Amino acid sequence: MEINVNKKNYTVDVDPDMPLLWVLRDILNLTGTKYGCGIGVCKSCTVLIEGVPEQSCIVPVSYAEGKSITTIEGISENGDHPLQKAWIELSVSQCGYCQPGQIVRAYYLLSKNPKPTVEDINKEMSEHICRCGTYDKIRKAILLASKE
Amino acid sequence: MENNTSQSRRRFIFGTALTLGGIVSGFAFSNKALAELIVFKDEKKILGFAPSVWVEITKDNFVVVTVARSEIGQGIKTTFAMIVAEELDADWSKVIAVNSQGDPKYGDQSTGGSTSVRMFWTNLRQAGAQARQMMINAAAQIWGISPDDCYTENSYVYERNGTRKLAYGELIETAMNLPVPPLNSVKLKSSSEFKILGKSQKNLEEPNYVTGKTIYSFDFRYPGMKYAVLLRCPYIGGSVKSFDATDALKQNGVIGVYQIEEGIAVVADNSWAALKGREALKVQWNEGPNANLNTEQIYETFRSLIVNTGQLPSKTVKEIDVRFEVPFLAHSTMEPMCAFANFKDGKCEIFAGTQNPQYAREDVARALKISKDNVTVNVLNSGGGFGRRLNSDYITIAAKISKASGLPILFFYTKADDIKFDYYRPASVHAIKAGIDSNGKPTGMIHIIASQGGVWPVDPPYNVGGYNYELKSSAFGIREGAWRSVENTQNIFAIESAIDELAYLAGKDPFEFRLEITTDQKLKNVLSKVAQNANWGSSLPSGWGRGIAAFVGYGAYITHVVEVYVSNEGFLNVKKIYAVVDPGFPINPENIRNQIQGAAIDALSTALYAEITIEGGQVQQSGFHNYRWLRMDEIPEFDIEILRTSDNPSGMGEVGFPSVTPALCNAIFNATGIRIRKLPISRTPLTSVEKQLTKDNYFEVNAFPNPFESSVKIEITPRSVLNKKLDVEIYDYLGKKVIEPKFKYDSAKYFADVNFEILPPSVYYVVVSFGAERFSFPIMKVK
Ligand code: FES
Ligand code: FES
Repeated sequence: MEINVNKKNYTVDVDPDMPLLWVLRDILNLTGTKYGCGIGVCKSCTVLIEGVPEQSCIVPVSYAEGKSITTIEGISENGDHPLQKAWIELSVSQCGYCQPGQIVRAYYLLSKNPKPTVEDINKEMSEHICRCGTYDKIRKAILLASKE
Repeated sequence: MENNTSQSRRRFIFGTALTLGGIVSGFAFSNKALAELIVFKDEKKILGFAPSVWVEITKDNFVVVTVARSEIGQGIKTTFAMIVAEELDADWSKVIAVNSQGDPKYGDQSTGGSTSVRMFWTNLRQAGAQARQMMINAAAQIWGISPDDCYTENSYVYERNGTRKLAYGELIETAMNLPVPPLNSVKLKSSSEFKILGKSQKNLEEPNYVTGKTIYSFDFRYPGMKYAVLLRCPYIGGSVKSFDATDALKQNGVIGVYQIEEGIAVVADNSWAALKGREALKVQWNEGPNANLNTEQIYETFRSLIVNTGQLPSKTVKEIDVRFEVPFLAHSTMEPMCAFANFKDGKCEIFAGTQNPQYAREDVARALKISKDNVTVNVLNSGGGFGRRLNSDYITIAAKISKASGLPILFFYTKADDIKFDYYRPASVHAIKAGIDSNGKPTGMIHIIASQGGVWPVDPPYNVGGYNYELKSSAFGIREGAWRSVENTQNIFAIESAIDELAYLAGKDPFEFRLEITTDQKLKNVLSKVAQNANWGSSLPSGWGRGIAAFVGYGAYITHVVEVYVSNEGFLNVKKIYAVVDPGFPINPENIRNQIQGAAIDALSTALYAEITIEGGQVQQSGFHNYRWLRMDEIPEFDIEILRTSDNPSGMGEVGFPSVTPALCNAIFNATGIRIRKLPISRTPLTSVEKQLTKDNYFEVNAFPNPFESSVKIEITPRSVLNKKLDVEIYDYLGKKVIEPKFKYDSAKYFADVNFEILPPSVYYVVVSFGAERFSFPIMKVK
C-alpha cells in the first residue's frame, strides 16, 4: 500500500484495517503523532488527510491510501512555523503530550481562517483534551500566530 | 543529596558530554533523532567537564544540567536549569537540561509532595557557584592573576582591569586539573543579583514539544523491540482461571502470549497487532471476593462508621454538623502508562516516564529476582504524572514480559487499562461538627474521616477554636495512591466548605470571617489581595455568586475566589477564577502561572464531573468519554497574581488545586442557596423546577425512571389545552445542548424515550419552551 506522509511516499505492507496512527508510529517511526485514547475522543492523534483533521487512531490506513497526510513532523521540523514559534514564545505546554495534535488542528484552523476570533478558536479547538489545562495559553498562541 | 566535594567527584567527559544515558533536550540538540541521542563515549577527545553530578560545561560552551527529578509537566527541567545557570552565570540560551538515571548519588528522586525545588534549591545553587568558581580559577591561572580580579557573565570569564576574556568552554581543560572547591565553601549570590531567577524564562522543552520530538515512553524505540499489552482480570482482586491463546497466536504480527502474575501478555510486531491479539484471547476469570462490590456499598459503609460526632464546648451557641463525600479519582494522564524493558544476561535496562526511578529500580530488581545493581532505570519525559507514576506497576510488568519473552519490550496500557488499573485518589466521607459562640467566634471543630485508611487529616488554615480529628476505616481492596495534592484534595474541600457554612451561621461575610479567624499575616495578605482583585463585596447581578477559599501548604499560600452564574434553567457557568499565590520566591513566574491555571482546571474538571465507580466488582469508567475533562470552551477566565515575599521558593505543582473546589462550591451556594456537600457537583441539580411548574401550572413533566441508567422516558402532560408550540431540549450541566428528543403525542400526553448511552453520568436538564416561557426539569443519569 502506498501512502504519502509529509510529501514523501512510503510503501507499507500492513493489515489495511490497521489505524493510521500505528502505521505512522510503529511502522514509519513518526512518533510525533500521539496515542491518547485510541477511540477518537481525546484528539491527541490528530493528523491532516487532504488538509482536513482526522483522528488517526480510528482511521484505517486503507482510507488514507493515495491521499496526502500531514503530521506534526510535516508542519515544520525545526519548529519555525508561526504556530510553533508562538507556542515557544508563550511557553504553552506543560507535559506537552497533547500539543502535536493541538498544533495540527490549529494549523488547519489558520489554513481556512487566517484571522480567527476567540469564538472561532474555542469552537475548533474544543475538540481536543489537554489534561494539563493549557487551553488559555493555546488560545493566546493561536491569536499570536495569526498576527504573523 | 549530592554533597560529596572530594577530588574524585570530578568527572571528565570523554567523547561527547551528552553521555548521561539519558535523552538530551533543549534547543541545541533538538534536531537529533533518538538513536543519535543515546550516544556512547568515544574515548579520545575531551569534550566536557563536570565538577559535580549536576552540571557539565562542554567544549562548545554549552551548559548541561542533569535534572534528577522527573519532568511530568511541572516544568522542573527548566526550573532546575535556571537555578544552576544563575549561579554559574551561564548564557541562558546555551543551557540544556537532561534527565538523570535513577541512582542514589542524586539523593531522593521521588517527584512527589512538591518537594523538588525546596530540597534541591541550595544544592543546585552551590553546584552552579562551584562550577563558576572553577571557571574563574582556571582563567586566573591562565592569565597569571588573582581570581579576585576576574568576573563572569554569560558563560565567559572577564579580566576586571583589562580586556581579556575566555569562554567557559575554553577553560575546561585547565579547570579539570584544579582542585574542586567544597560545595559549602562557595559564595552564593544575593537575590538582588539574580539575572535569570525570578524572571519568566521560556520552557526549555517547548521546541521539542511543538515539533513532536520529545521522547515519551510510547516513543522510545530500540533495535529488535516488540510491543506488548496485557489482559488483566477486570474484577478487583480477581485472577485468571484459564485461557486459550490459539486465536490470538493466529493474528498477523503476534509473536507470543505469556502469562505473568498480573495477567496475560500479548507480544507482537506492532501495537495494533498486540491489541488485536489481546482481543482474540479467550479467558475465564476467577472473579475473586469482590464480585458483588459496588461504590454505593463502600460509601454506605463509610457513612455507617461515623456514629457520633462528639460534643463542642458549652459556650457554643450555634453549630453545624455536616457530611461531605468525595469519590475515587483516576489520574487519567494524557499519556497512558508505558515502559520499555530489556532483560538480557541477568541485567535489565528500563526507559520510562516515572516519578520515582529509584523505587522503580528496586521494584524491577524484586520482580525479576536480580540485584538492583543489575537494573538501570533511564527517565523519560512523562505525558503527565499527577502522582500516578510514583507507582512502578507498568515498569515491572514490562520487565516481566521482557524476561518471559526474551525480547526488548515496549509495554503499554490502553486508555481503558490506564483508568481501570489505576491507583486511585481515595474516596472518603467527612463529618464536620463546628460551632460559634455568642460573638460569632469559632468554638471548635471536630472532623471525622472515614475511608479505606488512606486519607490523613489536614489542619484547617484558621483558628477554629480547637481542632480534633478522628480516623475511621474499612478496606475494600481498591488500589489507592497519591493524586495531585493528595489528602488536601478531600480535606480542604470539606474544611473550607465548613468554614463557609460557619461564616453564614455567624451572619458574617465569608471573606471577613476568614480574616477574623487567622493571625497569620501571610494568609491575611493573600486573602485581602484576592478579595481586592475580585472586587469582593461589590454587588453581582441576579443568578451570580462568589466563593472564597484558602490553602496553606508546600511552603506556600494561595487563595481563590470563584465567580459563577447559575441560569434559571440551572445551568452552571464558571465565569472567572481569581488566584493570589505567595510562593515566597517565584523562580519562574510564567511557569507558576501555568501550574496555577492547570491545577485549577484539574480541580474544576474533577469537582464537576469526575468519579470512578465500581459495579459488580469492576471499575466502570474507561476513557475521557465517561471520565470527563473540561475543554477549551468550558474554562473560565483567569486572574492570577504571583507575589514575591521572600528569598525562599516553595512547591508550585500541587498548591493550586485544593482551594478551587471549595471556592467553587461556596460560589454556587452564594448564587443559589444550594450547598454542595457531595462531589462531583454535577450529581446535584441547581434548580428546583417543580416550584416553577406548580406556580405556572401549564403542564406536568415526569421522567421514568429518574435517576436512570442508559435511557429515560420523558412525559409531558398539559394541564389544559396548549395553544402554543412546545419545544423540548436536553442540556448538560453546563448548559450545552446535548439532545433534541422527538416527542410523540398520545392519550393527551407528549412522550419520548431518550437514549443517554453515550453521555456520562450527571444531572441533565429537560428544558421545555412554551411560547415565551421556559421551564427546566432536572433528570439524573447514574452510571
Ligand atoms: S488517540 Fe485518537 S482521539 Fe484519542
Ligand atoms: S500539555 Fe499535558 S496534556 Fe496538554
